[in-house]
Amino acid sequence: MLDHLSLLVLDALLIAVFFSFLWKPERSERWRYFWKVFGALVLGAVAVGWLMYPFPHS
Amino acid sequence: MADKAANRPARRESRLPMPVLLGLAWLVPGLGHLLLGRRLRAAVFAAVVLAGFVVGVVLDGELMTPHAGDPLSYLATFASLGNGLLYFIARSMGLGQGVVTAPAYEFGNTFLLTAGMMNLLLVLDTHDIAVGKKDW
Repeated sequence: MLDHLSLLVLDALLIAVFFSFLWKPERSERWRYFWKVFGALVLGAVAVGWLMYPFPHS
Repeated sequence: MADKAANRPARRESRLPMPVLLGLAWLVPGLGHLLLGRRLRAAVFAAVVLAGFVVGVVLDGELMTPHAGDPLSYLATFASLGNGLLYFIARSMGLGQGVVTAPAYEFGNTFLLTAGMMNLLLVLDTHDIAVGKKDW
């Protein structure tokens, strides 16, 4: 089974591809938008996880 | 941008009544775009929604049903139903029951809900293309 980070990256990949094709008509625009969304999702999730790290969990 | 749109070849527009077109777009991911002549996007959207759905089921995610007293379950059911035929086929095969104790259960749910909501967005996009709000 894939680990959680891999699953997160896979989900981000699918979402980024989806919105690139949904919102951008040109190939070059799509690539730019894809990397922007993909980066925001992956780095954002890692950043939020890092910020939550000090909080206790039961 | 307007020039680019004007230079694009004319696409075949569907002659189906709008409710039928939107119904088909919901039932089969990508079919709405295919019927409107957007073949590349139809293929990409179908692949993305199908991949998300399959991964969700494989990860023991749950295709939600409403539970009395749990308002969020109604929203989750709406999003799950967004998968169209995939939802009904999987449920009829006994898939997507959800294994709460599985390590990737929540990830499975995320993939299934994401796939369903993406397909619902495709229905709206199909509508926008069909009425001419979106010309590409």
